[in-house]
Amino acid sequence: MMNLEILRRGSGRPILIVHGVNPVSPKAPFLEPLAAHGSVIAPSHPGFGASPMPQDFETMYDLVNLYQDVIDDLPGDDVTMIGLGFGGWIAAEVAVTRPAKLRRLVLADPVGIKLGGREERDIAHFFNTRPDELTRRAWHDPSRIPEGCYGLGWQATIDERMSDAEMVTLARNWDSLCLYAWTPHMYNPRLKAWLRRIAVPTLVLWGESDEIVTPDYGRGYAGLIPGARFETIAGAGHHPELEQPAAFVDRVVRFMAESLGS
Amino acid sequence: MTSMELWNHCENPYPFVPAEVLDAADSVRASLPNKYCDPKIAAGLYDEIWEEYRQCDDIGLHIVTNEHHSGINNLWAASPVITGIVASLTRKVRILSLGTLVTVRPDPVRVATEYATIDVISKGRLDIGFVKSGATEMVSGNANPIHIREREWEAIDLIEKSLTSHDGPFSWEGKFFTHPHVNVWPRPYQSPRPDFWAATSDLPTCAELGRRGFVNTLLFGGYDRTRKAYDAYKDARAAAGLPKAGEDRFSYMAFCYVGETDEEAMRIGQKIPWFLTVSIKSAPQFSKFQPGAVAPEMAPAAWRGGASKRPTDLSVASLIAQGQMFCGNPDTVAKQIKEFRQRVGGVGRIIMMTRQGLVTHAQAMKSFNLAAKEVLPQLRDLPPIDEERRAA
Repeated sequence: MMNLEILRRGSGRPILIVHGVNPVSPKAPFLEPLAAHGSVIAPSHPGFGASPMPQDFETMYDLVNLYQDVIDDLPGDDVTMIGLGFGGWIAAEVAVTRPAKLRRLVLADPVGIKLGGREERDIAHFFNTRPDELTRRAWHDPSRIPEGCYGLGWQATIDERMSDAEMVTLARNWDSLCLYAWTPHMYNPRLKAWLRRIAVPTLVLWGESDEIVTPDYGRGYAGLIPGARFETIAGAGHHPELEQPAAFVDRVVRFMAESLGS
Repeated sequence: MTSMELWNHCENPYPFVPAEVLDAADSVRASLPNKYCDPKIAAGLYDEIWEEYRQCDDIGLHIVTNEHHSGINNLWAASPVITGIVASLTRKVRILSLGTLVTVRPDPVRVATEYATIDVISKGRLDIGFVKSGATEMVSGNANPIHIREREWEAIDLIEKSLTSHDGPFSWEGKFFTHPHVNVWPRPYQSPRPDFWAATSDLPTCAELGRRGFVNTLLFGGYDRTRKAYDAYKDARAAAGLPKAGEDRFSYMAFCYVGETDEEAMRIGQKIPWFLTVSIKSAPQFSKFQPGAVAPEMAPAAWRGGASKRPTDLSVASLIAQGQMFCGNPDTVAKQIKEFRQRVGGVGRIIMMTRQGLVTHAQAMKSFNLAAKEVLPQLRDLPPIDEERRAA
């Protein structure tokens, strides 16, 4: 198994977090409240944070197989997987493969599928959009971005207080994300047809103000997963776990309780 | 004894977009709407430059074409079309494609086919140049900007094999490109293939060019960076036990204007840095924040705003002093080029960027004429480099 950087909090049933554009920050405000309900395990994808990027590891196919390994190696047989944004795409792909230990799935503002017409952009372009425009689209209220947490539009927050080490890590994360998802941009043309294979209870959460991928896209996404529930979170954009951590944890915990033993 | 060559590099810029539009745009490449490019004006520009190329063919200036997309700096986007036309317009001079963008093109076999065709049309006058590219070109060409250097080398290898294989189809199953049935017709006119060039100042890449014997060209590198690049090339050859490279393996592109007097040249030459002052403006997501734009460990310097390799003082005098521009009367320019050759340890091929910005057709024709008739003769039969006088 690959040697990944892993952030851990709490104990109990594993709650695997598959991160988005950047790894889960130790300062992320949802971490401690969520860790009261299980063992939070948040790896950094290869090429992100302190996780190495192995030679010839470079596609979504590699990530999907890696995360199947990660789930196989978790203790017990009751795993909750939460995918955030770009990580929601990975989590959806992994869930399609029906890992034996996966019991429930939460997708928060995932990308990964194409729903609209060929001239409609479902997903704002992460790399070709101005950082200030990304910030506007990704956050309900950018003034409330938690300290030390970097979502889409992170470039616009660079200032003199940011350390060189943080910049090097952000640059490496951005390069790795691009390697995995430049084209087709942030989706797998084949995934939509296979979402029907997801066989665990699924909650699709969406920030009401998300203009990276809109709540309508989210409704369409949830509609392709058998039995999935779709819920929005007010006062949040593309990163509800960072903008409304209490509401986010509340929804996740309620869903976990409902599907306990299922 | 060394005889230097002069090459004319014109990108066919389109400097006719209103300044207020350019000022308001966050990028003059990739995203500037093409409603600002009047095809009637563009047609006139192509005609003027074809005339310049015919004159170059008559007077002995070789010709460089290149490729950029979706911006005011360059109307050579359909680069193989342009290079093919140049092959047909001219009869004597060499033509360097520098180049079509192999990191943007999905099929190197198609690129090889275009180059072989142009080589045949020109009856063996084609040289093939490679550039890594990046920035707005990745956006315009929808090319993943990560791993482009590795992709470039695989494309070059596949193009080389396509041009030099003559015994029926071969198969290629590489990391970036696959093609099970490569069999290029026509094969190139030159044997074993047209000469290869590459534009880079990246030292490990220069070393690889040295081992492969490609021509190493630098764009506006100035004295110090150019000398270091050439040294990396030479050192790599020496380390590999290869024979010493001649000066024809080294090339340098600079802004250039040759006038009848120094005063005239300086006055007209001041229009040329438009290339840097106007035509390069690019939004942050297409430049410093583009994935792969800089190695992650260089990001702090780039993002804090200090990593630009571009000159900051763009006056003609300053550009001349830094070795980034050759400008003056014919004797002045010959002296500048000879001094540059000496300080970088030898260079055989000078590429002049002259028709740039608002330099007119007539002004370009005049400079080319003076360059060929009064500068070039002074660059023949030059003595060997005095190693003691190389730049430190």
